[in-house]
Amino acid sequence: MTIAQERTLASKVRADFPILHQQVHGHPLVYLDNAASSQKPKAVLEALQHYYQTDNANVHRGVHTLSSRATDAYEGARDKVAAFVNAATREQIVYTRNASEAINLVAYSWGMNQLQPGDEIMLSVMEHHSNLIPWQFVAQRTGAVLKFVELTDTQEFDLDHFRSLISDKTKLVSVVHVSNTLGCINPIEEITRIAHQYGARVLIDACQSVPHMPIDVQAIDCDWLVASGHKMCAPTGIGFLYGKLDLLRSMPPFLGGGEMIADVFLDHSTYADLPHKFEAGTPAIAEAIGLGAAVDYLTNIGMDKIHAYEEELTLYLFDQLNQIPEVKTYGPQPNATASNRAALASFTTGAVHPHDLSTILDQAGIAIRAGHHCTQPLHRYLNAQSTARASLYFYNTREEIDAFIVSLKEAIEFFGSIFG
Amino acid sequence: MSLNNLRDLYQQVILERYKKPRNRGKTNPVDRYQKGHNPSCGDTIELTLKLDGDSDRIEDVKFEGEGCAIAMASVDLMAEALKGRTTAEALEMVQKFQAMMRGEAEFPQELRKLNVMQGVAQFPVRIKCANLSWHTLKAALELQQGVKPAGFVSNE
Repeated sequence: MTIAQERTLASKVRADFPILHQQVHGHPLVYLDNAASSQKPKAVLEALQHYYQTDNANVHRGVHTLSSRATDAYEGARDKVAAFVNAATREQIVYTRNASEAINLVAYSWGMNQLQPGDEIMLSVMEHHSNLIPWQFVAQRTGAVLKFVELTDTQEFDLDHFRSLISDKTKLVSVVHVSNTLGCINPIEEITRIAHQYGARVLIDACQSVPHMPIDVQAIDCDWLVASGHKMCAPTGIGFLYGKLDLLRSMPPFLGGGEMIADVFLDHSTYADLPHKFEAGTPAIAEAIGLGAAVDYLTNIGMDKIHAYEEELTLYLFDQLNQIPEVKTYGPQPNATASNRAALASFTTGAVHPHDLSTILDQAGIAIRAGHHCTQPLHRYLNAQSTARASLYFYNTREEIDAFIVSLKEAIEFFGSIFG
Repeated sequence: MSLNNLRDLYQQVILERYKKPRNRGKTNPVDRYQKGHNPSCGDTIELTLKLDGDSDRIEDVKFEGEGCAIAMASVDLMAEALKGRTTAEALEMVQKFQAMMRGEAEFPQELRKLNVMQGVAQFPVRIKCANLSWHTLKAALELQQGVKPAGFVSNE
């Protein structure tokens, strides 16, 4: 893709995002905190508005017209999500509040019931807290043991270390696809293939990949995959769990309540079929419909195009950052095509603490993240108190990266003048 | 960039204290110890106090830890301001500092150095950074002497 074409993609979509067209502290907003949450296109905002203005009713309850429309839209969105990640059937997509809830669903329904003392759960040191703490709960309750894959010299998933740790005791491998801090893209197909040789189940945290690249759950062959809507142009409060059909069928319900039942008696109940077995209570109907609209929006652009454009942005971002001597980035440097990493950069700048840097950039209208990005153990492993992170999406431009770099240099200079 | 706003926040004194804190280390003896933590950013400080048991006065305050310029300058200035104060006075200063962060108070003449932190009130998301040390101090003072703290206090 040439530079001219890539500018066309960003400039083509920016008009779809009303929020991007505002000033912050007298400067045009440059939103570079997409790994935390993405912005929403008009199509998604309008889907929410339309639902509440014309179709709002509870789903799967009434026979009246509005309930029927709400149900159709809610279930229609499920079809869209299923197609988006190439799930074989719609029953394999369970709506959750977010990816954390999806992982907790697997941890409580499967982990708490299936794991025995001495069984091993394999994670990596780069996991988001959401793919760590539920497994700490499971380990504490069942006596299972947590094992952690470490990093290579280039701060990527160490496949050799993974091979050396895995054994017949390994019952679960739960790893992130794209690290929200390091930006590395993990070899999840290879990880899944190896895990399955040992009879271990595999869960993939795809929060940072589903929004940015084509995902095919059947090609990955993972047992579960989780993602969060709000990082992929959808509203907050909606995410999903994909699971293999036989596995989801064998898992007991996670939460009890309305919607998830078949027959209820005073002392026992039978449960609804998939996927409703796992969707207790009135769900986030509007948000699910919004997720469907987001999937339509992304699909219309094309995930291949989005990914290719973001690879170009990654190369440019690192090219610029690498020219600032004070900047130290984490995770792998991009390869020639940036196919090895995501369009985000976690970094430190020596004298300027990430929190101070974030405040200074905010004064220039630039939004970045500062802190540990919900990966405290990784920061400890990297011996970094905290890092700053700029994370991009397909609506970001080279000009925005330029603005970020200019302000970053000014911040370094501002502090440097004291430290000089 | 709105450097003027930033100069209100990052006054020269704050940057100098960040660069060259004067109260790093551990008191001898350690009469009180408390660890404070800001979980949203990972900043951590370890505060130690030397007390004169008879007069209930704070003889010395030191800190260790890592954090942003605001947090580090705040703890360094606090350590200095506390020397010679009674624990009751120190607890009043905690109240005063927190009120200053709400834009509702400032310190009198003899403690005016602490007023350089006033600019933080204009940056609500950074108030936590400035408060971390005072929050930790409060926990340290409220501990019974000789009692080991159960853990760290969280600034959330």
